[in-house]
Amino acid sequence: MPELTYREAVRDGIAQAMRADDRVFIMGEDIAEMGGSMGVTQGLLDEFGPERVRNTPISEMAIVGAGIGAAMAGMRPIVEIMYEDFLTLSLEQIVNQAAKHRYMSGGQITVPLTIRTQGGAGWSPGAQHAQQLEAWLVHIPGLKVAYPSTPEDVRGLLWTSIHDDNPVVLFEHRLLYPVKGEVPEQLEPIPFGKARVVRVGTDVSVMAIGPLVHRALDAAKKAEEDGISVEIVDPRTLQPLDEETLVASVKKTNRAVVAHEAVTRMGFGAEVTAVLQHQAFDYLDAPIERVGAKFTPLAFAPVMEQYVVPNAEDVLAAIKRTVS
Amino acid sequence: MASEVKLPRLGQGMESGTVTKWLKNEGDAVAKGDPLYEIDTDKVTQEVESDFAGVLLKIALPEGEAPVGKTIAWIGEAGEEVAASEPEPAPEPERVSDTKVSDTPIAAPPAPPTSSNGRVKASPLARRLARERGIDIATLQGTGPDGRIVAKDVETAEARPATPAPVAAPSGDIESIPLTNIRKTIARRLTAAWQAPVFQRTVTADRTRANELVARARELNPDVRITVTDLLAKVCAQALMRHRDVNVQYSEDALLRFPTANVGIAVAAPQGLIVPVMRSVERLSLAQVAAARGDIVGRARDNKLTTQDLEDGTFTISNHGMFGIEQFVAVLNPPQAAILAVGATVDTPVARDGAIEIRPVMSMTLTVDHRAVDGAEGADFLRTVKTFLEDPALAL
Repeated sequence: MPELTYREAVRDGIAQAMRADDRVFIMGEDIAEMGGSMGVTQGLLDEFGPERVRNTPISEMAIVGAGIGAAMAGMRPIVEIMYEDFLTLSLEQIVNQAAKHRYMSGGQITVPLTIRTQGGAGWSPGAQHAQQLEAWLVHIPGLKVAYPSTPEDVRGLLWTSIHDDNPVVLFEHRLLYPVKGEVPEQLEPIPFGKARVVRVGTDVSVMAIGPLVHRALDAAKKAEEDGISVEIVDPRTLQPLDEETLVASVKKTNRAVVAHEAVTRMGFGAEVTAVLQHQAFDYLDAPIERVGAKFTPLAFAPVMEQYVVPNAEDVLAAIKRTVS
Repeated sequence: MASEVKLPRLGQGMESGTVTKWLKNEGDAVAKGDPLYEIDTDKVTQEVESDFAGVLLKIALPEGEAPVGKTIAWIGEAGEEVAASEPEPAPEPERVSDTKVSDTPIAAPPAPPTSSNGRVKASPLARRLARERGIDIATLQGTGPDGRIVAKDVETAEARPATPAPVAAPSGDIESIPLTNIRKTIARRLTAAWQAPVFQRTVTADRTRANELVARARELNPDVRITVTDLLAKVCAQALMRHRDVNVQYSEDALLRFPTANVGIAVAAPQGLIVPVMRSVERLSLAQVAAARGDIVGRARDNKLTTQDLEDGTFTISNHGMFGIEQFVAVLNPPQAAILAVGATVDTPVARDGAIEIRPVMSMTLTVDHRAVDGAEGADFLRTVKTFLEDPALAL
C-alpha cells in the first residue's frame, strides 16, 4: 500500500475531488501561490488555476459566507479557515446560515459546503492559535463534523464531506500533518458515523480523537507491560457519532476512557461519557475517565503547554485509574 | 435531650421482639424514616424505621430479645451524653436460623462497604452480576477504590461457598436446638388450639370440573399461574359468604362475625409454619386470587411478611396433597372457627349413573371449633364447599 503524509492525503483528496467534479473549488487565506500556511494546498494552483484555487481577504465571515452562497448556487466549495480559533469570526455564517438553510427552506436550499480547518497545540502557538473547538460545532443541529486522525481517514472523510449535500466542518490537526500512514491505492470514501477500532483489547476501551489516538496507542503499549489490555476506538466523525461501536466496546471491556486534546470540561468527551453511561450502565465496573486539556487558556511557554495539554502519560494514568 | 428508641409493639399481642441486625452504626446520621434495625417478632422479621432524626448515639441492644417498650438505642445530637444507666440485657441465645449450640461461631461478614446512609458502594456491573447470581451484594467486601465492590469481588464470592455452615457429621451427642421465636409461637398457639373442643367432618370431591375450570382459566390468564388452591380459596370464600356463621373468630365474650372472607393459606416456610392471609377473597377474580396467593406465599418463603399479612384471617386452608397425604385433620388456627385440610387427588373408581368411572377425587376435612359453630352448621358449610368445587358455576 502506498504511504502518504496526512498533509499529502488532504492535498490528494482535494485534487481528486476537483478532477472528478468541476463544481468543486477551494477558497482560503494564502492557499493559492503560497500553497497554504501549512503547505497543504501546494501545487493545486498550478493544476487547477486561479478560478478554482482562490485566495481570500482576511475575513472568515466573508470566506464562509461566500462559500455558502456558492454552495447554494450549485457549487461544491471547500473553504479553509486557517486556524480553527478563527472559526469564531465565521460562526454567524456557519451556525445561523449554513446549518439552517436546508431546514428553514423546507429542503429547497441545500448547502453542500465543506469547511476545512486546523488547530492544536504542541508547538507553542499560544492561547489564540491552538484551540480545539469541535465541541461547539457538534452542538449545532444541521452540521456534520469530522475529525480524522490518519492519512487514510482524512482523505476518505474529505471525499465524503465534499460530496455530502450538508455543511460539514472537517478538523485537521497541525501536528498530524507530517504523520505518515498507509493509504489504499484507490481513494476509498469513508462513510460518516463509522468508527474505527484502532486497537483491540479486553480490559478498557479508550475513545480518542485526533492526536490523542496516537498518544493513546503509546499509552496502550505501556499499559500492556503492566498487563492491561487496552482497546482504542476512533469515532472519526463526531456528528453523526457511531454510538453502537463505542457502546459495544465498553460492554466488552467494562471500563472506558474518553480522550481528546480539547479542554476536558464541557468537551465532546462529556457527550460520549453521557452516551456510554446511559447505554452501557450495567456494564461499567468503574467510573468513566476523561482525558483532555486543563481548564485554562493555553500558555505560550513550552513547559506550561506540556503541563496543560494531554499526552500519553495522561492517557495511561486514566487507564490505570479505571482498573485500580 | 437525646431521644430514646424503644422496642415498638408491632402487632396486637406482641410482647417482645428480638433485634437481629442494626442497619446504622453508632455515630451515623439518621433521618426520620430511615430503616434503623431489623427485628424478629413472634412471626415475622421486619425493618423498623427511625422515628427520630439525628445521630445514632448509642446502641444499647446490639442483638437479642427485649420486651416491648424497652429502650434499645438513643438518637440525638453528635456529642450528646446518653444515660448509660440501662444495663444491657443478658444476650439471649436465640437466633432466627436454627443454629446449633455446638457449632463453630458463624464468621460475621466483615463490615460491609456501606456509606453512612446505608448505601452499598458497588459498580453497576457488580450490582448486575450480584443480581443475576442471587448474591446479596451487601455481604461482600469491596476491593475497589474506597472499598467499592467491583465485578471481581462478586465473581470471587461465587467461587467461595457462601456461608461455610458446617454440615456437622452426625456425632453421637444429642443436640440441643434452642427454640426460635416462631417455634415458640407455634407451640403456644397450637397448645391453645388443642384445648378448643373441635369436631371434624370429611367429604370427598370430584375434581373433574374444577380441573377443567383451572385449565381454562390458565389459558385466559397467561400472566398468572392459577392453581386449584386458588379455586379452592375462592370457593371457600363464596361458601363462607353463604354460611356467615362459619366466617367468625371466637373470643371469650363474643363471636366476631366478619363481613368478608379473609382466607389464610398455611405455608411451610423455611422458618416454620406460617399462615398469611388473603383479604376479601369473595370479591376477587380467580386471577386476582392467584396473584395474591403467589405474592403472600412467595413472601412467606422469603421471610418477608409483615404483621398485617397475618392478621384478620377468618378461615384457613391447609393443603398436603403435594405430600401424597390422602386425608388428614388440621389443627385449628385460633381465633378462627374453622380450618380445611385438603388431601391428595387420586384417580378413584366411582359409581356414576350406575356405571363405574375413574374420576380425580380429593378429600377435604374440616376442623371446627364447637364453641363457635355447631355440627350441623359445619357439615352444611362443608357440603356447600364440596358442591361448589364439583360444580364451580354454582358458586357464582
